[in-house]
Amino acid sequence: MIAHSSITNIKNMKYAHKNITGIYLIPVLMLVFSSSCKVEPILDPNNPGIGTISANPTVGEIQNLVTAIESGMRDNMNFYFDDAGVIGREFYRFSTSDPRFTSDLLGKGTAVLDNNTFYITNPFAAAYRVIKNANILLDGLTNTTSSDITAAQRAAGKAYANTIKAYELLIVLNLENSNGIRLDVANPAALGPFLSKDESFNAISGLLDNAYNDLIANAGVDFSFTTTLFSSTSGEFAKFNRALAARVAVYRQDWNGALDDLNKSFFDIDGDLTEGVYYIYSSGGGDQLNPMFFPQNSSGETRVVQPSFITDAAAGDTRLSKAPKRTAPTTQDGLTSDYDFFVYKTNVDPIPIIRNEELLLIYAEAKAQVGGAANLDGAVTALNKIRHAANLPNYSGAVTQPAIIDEMLNQRRYSLFGEGHRWIDMRRYNRLNTLPIDRPGDDVWQEFPRPATE
Amino acid sequence: MKKKAKIFLLLTVFVFPSLLFAQTQIIGRVTDAGSNLPLQGVTITEQGTNNVKTTDANGNFSISVKNDRAKLVISSVGYVTQTLDASSNMTVTLAIDNTKLSEVVVTGLASSVKRSNLANAVASVSGKDLVGTTVQSTVDGALYGKFTGANISANSGAPGGGISMKLRGITSLVANSQPLFIVDGIYFDNSSINGGLNAVSKAAGQGSIQFQDDPSNRVADLDPEDIDRIEILKGASAAAIYGSRAAGGVVIITTKKGKSGRPRVEIDQSIGVQMQLHKLGQREWDDTKVQASFGAAGLAYYTANNKQIYDYEKELYGNHGLMSNTRVGLSGGNDRTTYYAGFTYKDDEGIVERTGYQKSSFRLNLTQKVAGFLDLALSANYVSSEADRGYFNNDNTTTTLGVSFVATPSWVNLYPDANGNYPNNPFVPSNFIQSRDLITNKEKVNRTLLGGTATWKVFTNIKSDLKIIARGGIDNYTLNTIAIFPQVLQFEKNGNGTNGAYIYGTTITRNSNYNLIAVHEFRPSNTLSFRTQAGITGENVNIDNVINTATQLVGVQTNLGQAGSIAVSQIKTLQHDRGFFVQEEFNYNDIAIITAGVRGDKSSRNGDANKLYYYPKLSGAFNIHQLPSWKSDLISQLKLRAAYGQSGNFAPFGAVYTPLVPVIFNGTVGSLITLTEGNESIGPEKQSELETGVDVGFLRNRVTIEATYYTKKVEDLLLNVQIPTSSGFTFAWRNVATIQNHGIEIGLNAIPISKRDVKWVSGINFWKNTAKVTRLDVPAFNTGAFGATLGTYRIQEGKSPTQIVGIAGPGDKVDAESGLGVFGDGEPDFQISFTESLTYKRWELNVLMHWKQGGDNINLTTLLSDIFGTSPDYDKKSLDPTGALSNGPYRLNALGTTAKPWVEDASYFRVREIGLRYHMPREWFRNIADVRVGVSARNLINVFKYNSYDPEVSNFGTNAISSNVEVTPFPSAKSFNFDLSITF
Repeated sequence: MIAHSSITNIKNMKYAHKNITGIYLIPVLMLVFSSSCKVEPILDPNNPGIGTISANPTVGEIQNLVTAIESGMRDNMNFYFDDAGVIGREFYRFSTSDPRFTSDLLGKGTAVLDNNTFYITNPFAAAYRVIKNANILLDGLTNTTSSDITAAQRAAGKAYANTIKAYELLIVLNLENSNGIRLDVANPAALGPFLSKDESFNAISGLLDNAYNDLIANAGVDFSFTTTLFSSTSGEFAKFNRALAARVAVYRQDWNGALDDLNKSFFDIDGDLTEGVYYIYSSGGGDQLNPMFFPQNSSGETRVVQPSFITDAAAGDTRLSKAPKRTAPTTQDGLTSDYDFFVYKTNVDPIPIIRNEELLLIYAEAKAQVGGAANLDGAVTALNKIRHAANLPNYSGAVTQPAIIDEMLNQRRYSLFGEGHRWIDMRRYNRLNTLPIDRPGDDVWQEFPRPATE
Repeated sequence: MKKKAKIFLLLTVFVFPSLLFAQTQIIGRVTDAGSNLPLQGVTITEQGTNNVKTTDANGNFSISVKNDRAKLVISSVGYVTQTLDASSNMTVTLAIDNTKLSEVVVTGLASSVKRSNLANAVASVSGKDLVGTTVQSTVDGALYGKFTGANISANSGAPGGGISMKLRGITSLVANSQPLFIVDGIYFDNSSINGGLNAVSKAAGQGSIQFQDDPSNRVADLDPEDIDRIEILKGASAAAIYGSRAAGGVVIITTKKGKSGRPRVEIDQSIGVQMQLHKLGQREWDDTKVQASFGAAGLAYYTANNKQIYDYEKELYGNHGLMSNTRVGLSGGNDRTTYYAGFTYKDDEGIVERTGYQKSSFRLNLTQKVAGFLDLALSANYVSSEADRGYFNNDNTTTTLGVSFVATPSWVNLYPDANGNYPNNPFVPSNFIQSRDLITNKEKVNRTLLGGTATWKVFTNIKSDLKIIARGGIDNYTLNTIAIFPQVLQFEKNGNGTNGAYIYGTTITRNSNYNLIAVHEFRPSNTLSFRTQAGITGENVNIDNVINTATQLVGVQTNLGQAGSIAVSQIKTLQHDRGFFVQEEFNYNDIAIITAGVRGDKSSRNGDANKLYYYPKLSGAFNIHQLPSWKSDLISQLKLRAAYGQSGNFAPFGAVYTPLVPVIFNGTVGSLITLTEGNESIGPEKQSELETGVDVGFLRNRVTIEATYYTKKVEDLLLNVQIPTSSGFTFAWRNVATIQNHGIEIGLNAIPISKRDVKWVSGINFWKNTAKVTRLDVPAFNTGAFGATLGTYRIQEGKSPTQIVGIAGPGDKVDAESGLGVFGDGEPDFQISFTESLTYKRWELNVLMHWKQGGDNINLTTLLSDIFGTSPDYDKKSLDPTGALSNGPYRLNALGTTAKPWVEDASYFRVREIGLRYHMPREWFRNIADVRVGVSARNLINVFKYNSYDPEVSNFGTNAISSNVEVTPFPSAKSFNFDLSITF
């Protein structure tokens, strides 16, 4: 006999009905369930989603994307500048919290560059994050149905996005060099292949040129957003585009192309050397401070100048103010220096992306490389402008192509100190083996390995 | 049945003509064998028929039987069932069933089954087991050692709760493996919500999810005194019917209900004191030691202060906290209406001054029978509580009380002067006496639980009955977290901090759930029964958490408007779940019981909100002792059982989304793509469990053994894995791992002595779980804690998910694959608990002892105190095998070479609860009231080798993997109570 242990009280027989087996319940319930129990997907209650923003952003949301691009461009650039500056033997990066700045980057002993360490993974990831945001901006500008944007603004805005993409790809290519970059990254599930170095340069150049055409075609148009990068007017922003193109051109050894690009950029041989485009920093809540700034005479975490910068300098060069003498020398890991890296005087100083001083040097380089007396003279003129600004007398060396090129590289070393150029310049002129070796067993690296997660 | 009755009737016509038309009226009375009090609500069934009656408030019953040869089955929950011949004016005494075999256990969402027919090892804890020995602070804290298969560990000793409960091992790598709590059918929110203290402690990097604020969890809001019983479904084999939320098991709580009869009043008052469980002492100093650890500056201070020593351990942790718990319960009713009302007021002071926990809880449970076919029930609970938890655990600013305490030697004077000014701590950024006296870290909760059930008995007849149950519940609470760091604090003023901080958080939770279930029972004969249940369920979650961090405060004001700078963050969690389930139970004469069912679930938390995920279950119990051929006097119960089920675990909220996060640039805000790519096709993690067991009872169930073996596999575990960063993302959610748990649980219950005056009931539980990562699609990686130098956890295929690894020195066992030393495992080797209950005449002694063997902690309190030279065992020589170095220098020497000194064995043996009660004779109170007085203690005896306050600790809260790390927590307490309870 089964003892009933269900909760019902079986006393009442009043409600005896026909025997309905429980089986019939199931289809009834399924019907009730499927018709009334549809679950509405819930959108992210805490953030805007990539889907909604790409599908139809408002003008305000487009501005947010642009602001984030300009903010994100600064992310992890300290690693980029430290990478180029340390390998290029411009300065040492001393750190008590991480010894890899003085071991891996300088190739101490048997140390090599690791493919899964912050010095490559961080700047690589940060650059592609900006590229992703730029791709979202491109989608947004294509898809938006807002009436506040004209067709011209759409095209100009996309050209802005592509210019930024090209710049960020260049940052990655500078680190990766012959390991190449991925160009097609719009779909995370189907990432394009790594291109060769030449293909990578072609791609970057192509992006800049196509963007330039659109910028010029809509020259008088203001972007539908404001930008801190040179100008918010299409035609003016195009000058920034050409400045970048000039830099890429000399990297590709397209000297005439470089000169042509300079003409269309904000290059002014008589102009202010500091005119240009910068990463900006602020102490406002939540904003970033200049990461390349350390107070003078710091210890523990500091940047100090490689001694040859001082010893190789011409007497009276005012650019030596970028490397003031410390009150006491500092040593770490077998390296010693008396001089601080002090290019940036406060923690909110801007860092150049590209400026007129570099354009003058590109002009000098392109002129010198094209060759011929007239061009060499032109190169010397530009170099003299640089020299005068540094309180040095006119160039008095031989006016031959190799001598001018040497002088140009020398001026680049001092004018663009710590801005991430020395290593790249020495590499593209195959002069990495001329860089000083501080400790036996140290190496000068050509390039970084491809990150392990790729 | 009908056929048999006919034959019987014919027989009686021919054989017993005088009895042909006789219907006999049987009258009787049922009393309790022990107390001789009448028993109400006892079921009297005429064997072989549907003729059922129940006893009234005086224990009387009256039943009409076919003839006086009938047998009556007399049964009541908690008592041993008797089958007796019917006779006029019968007196029946029922004895209490200590074996719980007749106990009724919830199985499906709307049904229950006798324990003796149960195919799962469902653990059951009664209200008496819960609070009968000593007064309890929270429900989860009351469950230690009372059932097998659980690893329950308090995160710290801070008042107000905060306990991690893992059933049968780890079930997720990213979620917290906590079970689902259901109270009277209401889904009970058990979140742990951070108070935003990280803004001051800076323990975790900005944006890190590894917060170390030591919040409590919301199960602390439940009042243990309200609880009638708790059933714990430990794994998918039992919990499959709860679907996607049941991967960590389900804890089903039923609160007390009224009974018809005279109103009963229960008053309980407990007064106690709590104190630090384990003291470590302080290091003894002399000139040389001071010079060595604190240099010339230290020696100068020490000498200038006349080498005075202060007992700061006593000052900080030595408060004897007064505890008081007042409980009033009122219940009563009549045949149609019953009520239970309960009120508890608890006020506990902590062992650190200005900490404590206060809780007021009101409950009202009503049941009402309407028109005979409708039963209504309402349960309502309002809780208001306030917990002051102190400011402890890890930080990167040396401001928490714990870190500051270990960083300050005992010869520094931190006491305030006559004007109430606290001196600055000369060696550390904070003065912990000042911090203790001025900092507030408070959690205030107001919570309302409302639930209602309506049961409609559609029809009832001999062969079948149908009922439909509708249930709904609301769980609403407001949690206020208030943290005040006044301006005058050493680390806030003079440019050291933010000139004061007032962190005010508000979380508003509005959850609800409902279900609609039909249960149909079909009995074709009196040995067969089929019970079908099917239903639909829905749950809604809505949690809105806002934290305001105000800094640059104006004077002593604590108002968000009186601040120079405010940062705000808000996180909303929204979720809708819908599901259906079907279950069929087949019972053949209590010999074979087979259950099969399936649950289908859909949720907005999944990538596809309308995709159904199915969780089947199948179980069988075979009561060999019920076979008619079974004749054994020795073995009175022999049940073989097996069960299989699947359940799920949701992906973390937000894993579906790919948002753009806010960034600040040039005074404006931008939207930058996030670092973790969302997974739009994400689904729940799936768990499948197979459980087999045998229950044996000897000597009329005087000794019972329950043994269970289970294997539990959790597949498609989600992890935040690294992906190519050229995608723009650094991480993505992927299903990449599988963990397998297997273990055994053995419970032995015996009544060694059972006489008139003396009774001894004993229970021993043994349980052990082993976990292993059996699939990992990404390379092995370290996670949790603070890196390999100090000991970290490593997720590696083929190894335990809670293995502790670290850098290895000479002589350490090294894993060939990773090159790291393997130092231990967070999982215990086994756990044993002893529950002894001794009754002698009017005295009752209850003891609960708990032994956890194995399970290692990463103890970083010793690291911090070594660095500052304040470790109590600094000068003791017990660690160095060569005997050269004392403990402090030995450990410091190992820093950077091996992580071994910080991985410690956290085994312990505790007498968790012990209580002695005297039941006063009723005659002393004119037979009106039952009065019991007693004394009890919690954590009375603690035995462990662990080198800190308590091996039960977790700096990272209820985190799944890294939950055995210690960094100067709030120490644990032991308590002594005097209890008085009056029932009338």
